[in-house]
Amino acid sequence: MTSNRYTPPKLDWGLVLILMLLFLVSAISIYSAQTTGQYTENFLLKQVVWYAVGTGIIAAVITLDSDQLKKISWYVYGLGIALLGFLIVAPSSIAPVINGAKAWYKVPGMGSLQPAELVKVFIILVLAKTIDEHHQKNAHKTMQTDLWLLIKLAGLTMVPLLLVMQQPDLGTSLVFLAIMLGMIFISGISWKLLAPIFGTGAALAGTILYFVLWHPDILEKYLGVKEYQFARIYSWIDPYNYQSSTGFQLTRSLLAIGSGETSGKGYGTREVYLPESHTDFIFSIVGEEFGFVGASIVVSLFFLLIYHITKIGMETKNNFYTYICVGVISMVTFHVFQNIGMTIGLLPITGIPLPFISYGGSSLMGNMLAMGLIFSIRYHYKKYMFSTSD
Amino acid sequence: MNRKKKKKTHVPFRLNMLFFAVFLLFSMLILRLGMVQIVYGDDYKREIERTEDVTVNSPVPRGKMFDRNGQVIVDNTPQNAITFTNNGYKQDEMLEVAERLAKLIHKDTEKVQERDKKDYWIMKNPEEAEKKISKKDKEKLEKKYEGDQKELDKAIYQLTLDRITEDELSELTKDDLEVLAIYREFTSGYALTPQIVKNKEVTPEEFAVVSENLQILQGVDTTTDWERYYAFGDTLKSVLGNVTSSDEGLPAEQLEYYMARDYSRNDRVGKSYIEMQYEEVLHGQKAKVKNVTDKAGNVLETVPITDGQRGKDLVLSIDMDLQKEVEKIIEEELREAKASAGTALLDRAYVVLMDPHTGEVLSMAGKKIVKDKETGQSVMQDDALGNITTTYNVGSAVKGATILTGYKTGAINPGTVFYDRPLKIKGTPVKKSWRNFGPLNDINALKFSSNVYMFETVINIGGGKYEYEQPLRINEKAFSTVRDSFAQFGLGVRTGIDLPNEQTGFKGMSTLPGFMLDLSIGQYDTYSNMQLAQYVSVIANGGNRMEPHIVKEIREPLMENNELGPIVQEMEPKVLNRVELEDGWMDRVQEGFRRVMQEKGGTAYGLFGNKDYKPAGKTGTAEAFYDGPERSKFGKEPPEVMNLSLVSYAPSENPEVAMAVLVPWAYQGSVDHGANKEIGQRVLDAYFDLKKERHKKGDDAKESVQKVENIDEVLEGQEDARKEDE
Repeated sequence: MTSNRYTPPKLDWGLVLILMLLFLVSAISIYSAQTTGQYTENFLLKQVVWYAVGTGIIAAVITLDSDQLKKISWYVYGLGIALLGFLIVAPSSIAPVINGAKAWYKVPGMGSLQPAELVKVFIILVLAKTIDEHHQKNAHKTMQTDLWLLIKLAGLTMVPLLLVMQQPDLGTSLVFLAIMLGMIFISGISWKLLAPIFGTGAALAGTILYFVLWHPDILEKYLGVKEYQFARIYSWIDPYNYQSSTGFQLTRSLLAIGSGETSGKGYGTREVYLPESHTDFIFSIVGEEFGFVGASIVVSLFFLLIYHITKIGMETKNNFYTYICVGVISMVTFHVFQNIGMTIGLLPITGIPLPFISYGGSSLMGNMLAMGLIFSIRYHYKKYMFSTSD
Repeated sequence: MNRKKKKKTHVPFRLNMLFFAVFLLFSMLILRLGMVQIVYGDDYKREIERTEDVTVNSPVPRGKMFDRNGQVIVDNTPQNAITFTNNGYKQDEMLEVAERLAKLIHKDTEKVQERDKKDYWIMKNPEEAEKKISKKDKEKLEKKYEGDQKELDKAIYQLTLDRITEDELSELTKDDLEVLAIYREFTSGYALTPQIVKNKEVTPEEFAVVSENLQILQGVDTTTDWERYYAFGDTLKSVLGNVTSSDEGLPAEQLEYYMARDYSRNDRVGKSYIEMQYEEVLHGQKAKVKNVTDKAGNVLETVPITDGQRGKDLVLSIDMDLQKEVEKIIEEELREAKASAGTALLDRAYVVLMDPHTGEVLSMAGKKIVKDKETGQSVMQDDALGNITTTYNVGSAVKGATILTGYKTGAINPGTVFYDRPLKIKGTPVKKSWRNFGPLNDINALKFSSNVYMFETVINIGGGKYEYEQPLRINEKAFSTVRDSFAQFGLGVRTGIDLPNEQTGFKGMSTLPGFMLDLSIGQYDTYSNMQLAQYVSVIANGGNRMEPHIVKEIREPLMENNELGPIVQEMEPKVLNRVELEDGWMDRVQEGFRRVMQEKGGTAYGLFGNKDYKPAGKTGTAEAFYDGPERSKFGKEPPEVMNLSLVSYAPSENPEVAMAVLVPWAYQGSVDHGANKEIGQRVLDAYFDLKKERHKKGDDAKESVQKVENIDEVLEGQEDARKEDE
């Protein structure tokens, strides 16, 4: 990238290729998943439509350069908060309770919209802008400025986080947290601040996990939490004894993926029935039908995507863009790791989808929005190549 | 411009770190995938292939019962049956099958409950049912069962049920009810266990049309069910016992016992007496089929494991011809006796005939007069069980045991003479024999049935001394001495018969000396008629207490129904104990018993003196208190009644049959109808007549293969039963 010449706006074809491959995986898996007979809808067709809509979103976002993005970041963040906030008071005719959570808007003709999926990207935007502005204002960073930045970032994340927590939607809350952590990390806040914070957090989580597993009675006695609230964790550690609840999904999923063995059973020859396999448990279909080879290819595809975004983040001279890249990386990585991890028993089960592959309009729109941001970085590349190379 | 200033130095480093972290996380995913799919993949694959095997047992007919001469007593009548096996069907699938089946067969709708109707109505009219609960109701309930979805659903369902009106239920047509009745049977079954949908009155047409349409009737099958058939009607039925219906299934109190033995919940098992006692032998080995299912419970294939075998047959020691005769005699004599004065309380009589050497029960008969609750008429009911389940004061029949107890304890010696006169003990009424006999030895004391001789004997046992109008002192230990000795004869203890629910009798609590005297003449403790039979067998066979048994042999079942199978087990005669004896003691008691029946002046000489079969025995008349079904009509004091008994064996030399007759509450007042002796002589006559008759026919020459004697009648009877059913 040492060209001095003017480069016209260009499309990131590498990213396009990756997305197209993901689309292919998604289409194949959903088509297979909808043969379980749990639902009669044609999810594949809908997913194709969503991909088309997603492409439209990318096309729209790609035109925005960094100034424009910064300008709108506060507005979209505000819009996101408003949407989340309104969910609480909205009547059930607009926001029905689905699977025990009030997290969706009913949109006529479109199905349902989960605002939290979009808010993820809005958070990335607003955090990126906050970090960027902070560093512009405080050229000489001190412990005080770092601490102030930390508080700002945490505060901005906490508002939507709490709103999502009360829906309740643990999975998405964790995504917010992952985005925040990734962006705090990249913001350049001193290790002296980060180490104790992360250290304490990890220690705290470890301690709680220890008590949950071996001394739930103490938690019950002093914190008033009931044992059943840890069912998710118990069923992760010992799925075969918690078959009736989430343990059932885990054992089925493990059975499906495990029995796929190295090369899989072949397309459309699944044997294990798994409910909701077109959404959160879509990876079990990949694992069962295409085996270790297929599953590794999908994981690699995601890794390639992360690598690609990391490269963009490295190459761009605009720190705002780098922050966005890191936010997207955190988001995608967390989604992929958590989703695949739960299907193979690596992590407890939380209801979050596999990006680009699981069926779901809101999720896909959120992810395409994020991709739109990445595309726009490459699209508006030249300006900065010029300005920094002289 | 700020924007254009050099990139912060930390950013590439941290970005690289972040990327490295992502790399680590993804590596973990790949690693874990490798573990799950490659390392353990084979295990998971095997787990999928591992299907569950469920063993299904199809019932086989129970074993039959024969009498000692090879006559069928209990057989099975095959019945066409339509069954349903729930192989994991859903509600609507079952309902659909029920609807189809209802078009093919007729099903009784009597068993259908209102609740069933309501459930069915909701199933048929889901929308209207939903309308019954208004939003308001729902909200109210939601508030009440906040968060508990299960309870909420239950409450809503209950409310819907409550609100279904009579009118709505009457919307259900007759056809609906039939579907419901069938559906009800479907759902009352257990998973993978055939449930009888209809086994009564299945017409050949129904059977055929269902068989033809099995493809569209998932889970339905046509099989054969078995109904017990009793070749001799009600004869001995109370002893034969009952079998549970498939609706009853396993008795709740023994569920675990049977489940542990591989029974299904709706299996039919013996619930009383022989059917229960010999359940293990009779129930046979069920045909076992393994249903191979996948993890979702769908049946993939059905593999037969064992063919199953009909239950083994029982050959009873009972002689049914004799049994029938004995029952007839009891009935007639009971009726006859009832014509006599003072017999208002008389309602029953018992007879046991036993081989004194083996303990084989040849006949066990009992009759009871009961008022039919509906018609108010008196009917004669089988009460063969009363021989072991009821106990009475039996009177002087036990005197043989008293004499032998006297010898054993040294209270008397063979030939000891007592002077029979009324005994007057201070504070008690005069105790005497039925006549004052003057001097009597032990043998004649039995012949004349002297009470005083027995009193003197037990006074000696108790170390007491009788003095006129003086209080009598007897060592309390004498009670247990006498009872222990009686127990060696089987009196007051379990006889050990192979039937459940045997009673031992009541032992008087008080140890006042007067009761000791009563005990010696059978008027204190109570004994069952079976105990009397065992006791007289001990006297007859010279001192062995034989365990009575009603099952003689267990035989392998055969396909042919005109032959008995090979013997699996023969019930060996079992000596429970031997009475302590010295030479000559038993001879004297036997001689006393012989004189009772064969010497002039003996208490039973009148009816037995002229018999060719030379019987020996002992009569008994006990002053007792009434304790029967009419007891509540009398106040605190039950009325005094006379119990009549008779023990006997014949011939007196080399006896081949022992008999006990018991007629409780025979009469009040002084008119003795002597039903005990009447019954006794006729029963013994019948036994020897039958023997003579058979001898003439040459029946007792045993053939190598035992034939079923009454096969033609049984086949005819079964045919009739079947016809009646249809």
